Amino acid sequence: MSKNILFSAKNIVKSFHGTQALKEVDLDVYEGEVVGLVGENGAGKSTLMKIIIGVQPQGSGEMYLRGKPFQPHDPLEANAEGIGMVYQEQSLITTLSVGQNLFFGHEKEFMQMGIVNWKKMYAEAAAVLSEVGCEDINPRKKVIDLNFATRQMVEIAKVVNVTKEASTDGKCLILLDEPTSVLNETEVKRLFQEIRKLTAKGHSVIFVSHRLDEVLEISDRIYVYKDGENAGNMNVADATEAILYERMVGHETNSEYYHLDKQVIPKEEVVLEAKDLGCRGKFKHVNFQLHKGEILGFCGVVGSGKEEICSVFCGDESPDFGELIVKGRKTKYSAPYQALNDGILMIPMERMVEGVIRGLSVEDNIALSNAGRLSKRGMISRKRVSEQAVEWIRRLRIKTSGKEELVIQLSGGNQQKVVFARVLASESDVVILNHPTRGVDVGAKEEIYGLIRDMVAEGKSVILLGDTLDECIGMSNRVLIMRDGLVTGELDAAVDAKPSQVSIISMMV
Amino acid sequence: MNKLKTNKAYFATYFSMAVIICLVLIFTIMEKSFINSSNINNLLSDTAPLMIMAAGMTPVILIGSIDLSVGAMCSVSNVLVVSFIMKFKDTIYADWFIMLVTFVTTLVFAVIAGIILGLIHVKLKVPSFIASLAFMSIWNSAALLISNSPISIPKKLWGTIDWYKISIGPLGYPLVIAFLIIIGYYVILTRTSLGRGIYAIGANERAARMSGIAVDRIKITVFAVNGFCAALGAIFLMAKAKSCAPTVGDSFTLMVISAVVLGGTALIGGSGNILNTILGVFIVSIIKNGMNIVSINVYWQKVVFGVVVLIAIAINTDRSSRSFIVK
Repeated sequence: MSKNILFSAKNIVKSFHGTQALKEVDLDVYEGEVVGLVGENGAGKSTLMKIIIGVQPQGSGEMYLRGKPFQPHDPLEANAEGIGMVYQEQSLITTLSVGQNLFFGHEKEFMQMGIVNWKKMYAEAAAVLSEVGCEDINPRKKVIDLNFATRQMVEIAKVVNVTKEASTDGKCLILLDEPTSVLNETEVKRLFQEIRKLTAKGHSVIFVSHRLDEVLEISDRIYVYKDGENAGNMNVADATEAILYERMVGHETNSEYYHLDKQVIPKEEVVLEAKDLGCRGKFKHVNFQLHKGEILGFCGVVGSGKEEICSVFCGDESPDFGELIVKGRKTKYSAPYQALNDGILMIPMERMVEGVIRGLSVEDNIALSNAGRLSKRGMISRKRVSEQAVEWIRRLRIKTSGKEELVIQLSGGNQQKVVFARVLASESDVVILNHPTRGVDVGAKEEIYGLIRDMVAEGKSVILLGDTLDECIGMSNRVLIMRDGLVTGELDAAVDAKPSQVSIISMMV
Repeated sequence: MNKLKTNKAYFATYFSMAVIICLVLIFTIMEKSFINSSNINNLLSDTAPLMIMAAGMTPVILIGSIDLSVGAMCSVSNVLVVSFIMKFKDTIYADWFIMLVTFVTTLVFAVIAGIILGLIHVKLKVPSFIASLAFMSIWNSAALLISNSPISIPKKLWGTIDWYKISIGPLGYPLVIAFLIIIGYYVILTRTSLGRGIYAIGANERAARMSGIAVDRIKITVFAVNGFCAALGAIFLMAKAKSCAPTVGDSFTLMVISAVVLGGTALIGGSGNILNTILGVFIVSIIKNGMNIVSINVYWQKVVFGVVVLIAIAINTDRSSRSFIVK
């Protein structure tokens, strides 16, 4: 391996609405190597990628490319310098052919008297594909007819093509953000072969993933990020899954952080029961009981079916098979308001899109789920709406200039507290928490954990999809582990007998 | 901190008022008779059907939808009323009873039509724009199929539609009814969970659904009420003209939508105040009446309306968001 540094980032800092996403992280990439970047959700991996490609600027810190300062203002500028990125979400236009996608926006190069010379474009496309070792992809095929691994390769080919031409030495840096999340095992193998071909040609790759085994397999060096900080940087020879995991998580379950002193033993009473529940193509044969006063955690990777189970419980989706029994009654929901009538409400994962209405005030957001109960003879009392808001702002210590402030002006953590206030005000007794601490900084996280404990102490029951595994184990009384739409394990998580993360991961993957 | 929001609301109100004053001045300068009492009375009574229909349309736009079939709905209701009357006019029932039954039947028909449009939009996920465009074609033709020429109401029944001419102070009875409907809707929008739901759906439908708001039901209700208002407008038009015409409502679609937008309701939904719709309605009817008074050619009038709508929407659209995508 040549030892020339291609790219380096120094002391990168980035914060969103007062939440520090990156706190002075460093990253170096040598020519012809694969750098693995691992970390939990919210560790700052994607944020750094977006800064490198120029989607968003860093707060402070410098980047260097081939020894020269580098500061792209948008992805095109980064491309022009020889850095390209394959995004987590696929960005190909599926109704166009591979060749059309490869040269999308560059059709001019193939124009003759205002008409595109397709033959020339497809010949060129074949050359580009063979450059990344994909001679077997037909450039005339529509992207929609390709499997995901092949699509991923087309994206990589596109990025390589754009960046290679631009860079002075023909060497480029490709950023891959979770490229394997939609691939199956053989497709992953295939992708890895192609990545090796790329690096053999002198290109470099930053490989972001949360699958540690894959990172260990493909990378030359690995960086571990944790809570926006650099938690380790090692050669692959020195790394094992256990070492990486320890660095990623940083600490074993901290009893104060999760308010373990307040963890209570659930009652016998069953409030919610799933009997052989299934949703076509998403999950099947799911059986469990949720008890009064219990926190039931769901663990599993993205695509394991845990999100879809939440959608079914909160009424957003109807199950295809099996039974859903709420407080002893068999039910089936077609919309969330029906679940709310039974006292079930979810705190959704996408706060901005599903949790709050940003253009409405704090008080109106808090009253969204219980407006009916604040009215007398059909008329809503403004006074009660604002009294309710004042009460919750005080109890949850929501930092706001007043109940009339628009939610959009609050920080992420405080927006999330508004969502909690709305759910608590609704007096639902089954609360589904779908990543309740996503995009929230550490201090606010701890407060939210306290809130969840208080909810349960009042006799509410909680289904928790943790943002991290640690959180899920730390907060829950019991955890269900899912893989590929099936429940693969169930573990008790009593205060003094929390299961280890390793034991759960073995059932997740 | 609500400044941002209220500033915008005030702007809509003051802007509309300023426009009204300017228009009155311009038309008065161009033609003195614009400001005389008979024309003012005329203008006020002519405004009622438009105002009722705009009252129904405001919540539709507040939820982020649109109904392009209101004019056609108005036409078909208009001919339905009169053809019902013609059918029953020689029966033994009392005149007022015939009128009552035909009115109720027409209103029920319009509400059902609104519910069907709402169902198609909500359940089949057809954009309201295209679903209502299809209904526009259907109702336009239906009106012509029911009666392809105007029908006058027989003299013996005129007594039953005299109420249209009654005035309360300077305001005609119809305009008072229109105001009452708007005030009623204002109370619903601001003080009930239905109203809060309407604003929430317009601002963020997904979040509204996840908060446990019965989104589908609210949307269908809004379309049903819009149908009701279109038919009520049609009944007023019938009472005013003492006849029906199968194309009477056609020009209303654009006028209704422009009145609502001129009243400051955002086409993307979620913000607006139905009381300002009153101002929007007056802007539209002053332009219409003024152009008649200064005898501008009817076809030019339509050109002017097209331009007015474009200007109104261009002023009101919030282009500040980068994710604002127009299709």
